[in-house]
Amino acid sequence: MPIISLKDVSKLYGFGDATTVALDEVNLDVDAGEFVAVMGPSGSGKSTLMNIIGLLDRPTHGGYNLSNRSVAKLRPNQRAKLRRDKIGFVFQSFNLLPKMNVIDNVALPLLYKGVSPVKRLKRAADVLERVGLADRQYFMPKTLSGGQVQRASIARALVNDPQIIIADEPTGNLDSAASLIVMELLSELHRTGNTILMVTHNPELTRYADRVVYMHDGSIVHDQRTPLGELPNLANRASFLYPRRSEEDDLAGVSAMMQFRPEKTTKKPKKRKTIKARKSRKTTVRSKDA
Amino acid sequence: MHSGNYKLALKTMRSARWQSALTMFGIVVGIVSVITTVSLGEGIKHQVLGQINSVGNDLITVRPGNVVDRDSNGVITKINPEYAYGFGSGSLSEQDVAVIQGVKGIKQSSPLRLLTGSVKTENREYDDGFVLGSNADLPALLQQKVEFGIYFSKGEDTRQVAVIGKRVAEQLFQENVPVGQTLTIRGQDFIVRGVFEEFKPATLGQGIDLNEAIFIPNESLKIAAGAAAPVVRVLVRPDNPANTKNLANSITSAVREAHDGQNDITVLRQDENLVVTRGVLDSLTGFIAAIAAVSLLVGGIGIMNIMLVSVSERTREIGIRKAVGATNRQIRKQFLAEAVMISFVGGIIGVVLAYVVNFMIRVTTNLHPIITWPVVVIAAGVAISVGIIFGTIPAIKAARKDPIESLRVGT
Repeated sequence: MPIISLKDVSKLYGFGDATTVALDEVNLDVDAGEFVAVMGPSGSGKSTLMNIIGLLDRPTHGGYNLSNRSVAKLRPNQRAKLRRDKIGFVFQSFNLLPKMNVIDNVALPLLYKGVSPVKRLKRAADVLERVGLADRQYFMPKTLSGGQVQRASIARALVNDPQIIIADEPTGNLDSAASLIVMELLSELHRTGNTILMVTHNPELTRYADRVVYMHDGSIVHDQRTPLGELPNLANRASFLYPRRSEEDDLAGVSAMMQFRPEKTTKKPKKRKTIKARKSRKTTVRSKDA
Repeated sequence: MHSGNYKLALKTMRSARWQSALTMFGIVVGIVSVITTVSLGEGIKHQVLGQINSVGNDLITVRPGNVVDRDSNGVITKINPEYAYGFGSGSLSEQDVAVIQGVKGIKQSSPLRLLTGSVKTENREYDDGFVLGSNADLPALLQQKVEFGIYFSKGEDTRQVAVIGKRVAEQLFQENVPVGQTLTIRGQDFIVRGVFEEFKPATLGQGIDLNEAIFIPNESLKIAAGAAAPVVRVLVRPDNPANTKNLANSITSAVREAHDGQNDITVLRQDENLVVTRGVLDSLTGFIAAIAAVSLLVGGIGIMNIMLVSVSERTREIGIRKAVGATNRQIRKQFLAEAVMISFVGGIIGVVLAYVVNFMIRVTTNLHPIITWPVVVIAAGVAISVGIIFGTIPAIKAARKDPIESLRVGT
């Protein structure tokens, strides 16, 4: 039974002509205990997918079952509670509160759960020990190195014993040595049974994952299970099959728009409106073709 | 969770010291000014109420104008502030004085006539005071002693003599006992006969300080004025204190008859006089306190402003808190707690400062402001409610922020 089950999930931004499709009818099942690496170019919808899975965002269309429970229609405070109890976030930019020391930061989810201060600190101390920061509890985040801060934020993600850990480019701001430590930590969590979803740009890091998902233009274009420690054989090819939108594409778009540039005549503004509408129809057709 | 919010609020305030201090300043000023004005009013009221024995309970005052409305039993139902403050003027005439003095059962009586214009000595001018014409009964009516010198007696009604209040002596003559010196009223020279002991405030009504008065005989006032000077008060004392009420009633009906039934003069017994004075004081204090309360409102808007800034400054913090599982309600409470904390601490500082100001006023002036507990409690309550009222909108704004947008800010 999958712990995460997305069915035809779409996410649209904007209205009318300006609509952008961030996710286009994505189907994804993730079983408990999987380590899924999500790859893809910028703007391919990885982060939107993570936000929807992490209950920070809600899909425009489609169904989302988290542990067999439909969550697409939950009210904000119910989503907040699920987020607190079942999901831990690790961000690229760490996102610790700068004016709080490490242990208070780690204990923050427990505060919102209503755990008493003493238990809170004890639990946070335990988790910090697990990530190897037992001696940095009362340091402020800015006095720690990037790798230490990221480990602290992993500790914060773990403090509520979540079922799912969502890591959005966790090593994006770290040097390779710190990346290694963070990845080893995530992989250890994976060994102990956590479900992990990780967005990454670095194909090397997919060695830690047992499943690689490749996204392009809001769709999942490649989904492969790989043995731990090995690179997926198709991931690199996928990036050639579905190239990023290139400069040529942009130029083509501009020249298409130039065709419908309003003439320098004394036409009434009403006429212009129809031109605009025609133009937009044309461009949406073009994007569908692509 | 609750105490956590307030602790967190204190922590946040400490980390933004200047911002919090300036925001609190608005509340502090508001609370200090409200408490101080109310306590000043309270203090004056206290002093006035102390006079009930000083003038005597049987003194009857006749005043021009319809100062109070009464019900059928003669109990005061409403005070008309337009007549109650100051001397009033107009409707008491020379004939009325004769009518009043003709009523039976009077032991002593004196009309008071007011003469305006500045008073001069050879080298000084005095604009703050006023000249009152009276007769020899006045010290007995007001039960006021002449401290130095003597008052003019019966049969000296046309003598050019004056008895002055303490402040006149100090400011016009710059000495305590100017007896024998000369002052000029409308070109007429008067010789100072005596100086009164200090009058209690508001002896004849609110807004009149008899310490600034120069008393001269009625007849010589008429000469100096050159015409009829307006009668502003007639003071009457009954021959038997038990008859005070009856005498007041018969004076009322006698004057009303002379005025063809018009209700344009007011006869007040001393206890009623105090009611009127208290009423005027209360409305004055209330009015000034209301003006002072505007500064509380401004302080509240200051809180709202700062909280709105703080909310947008801390968008990212809100995003992080929401990502780790804070509900909208928990975010709202956090920011509301901050606003309440600022106004509460400001309120406490305000109350303490109000006591300091109170002490300073007592030391430096002859006023005795009184801070009562209800005022302090109400002021503190108002401070907290200002925090709640003006903290709510920013707090709701914070709670409604979209977590994804918020997390994107500043990266």
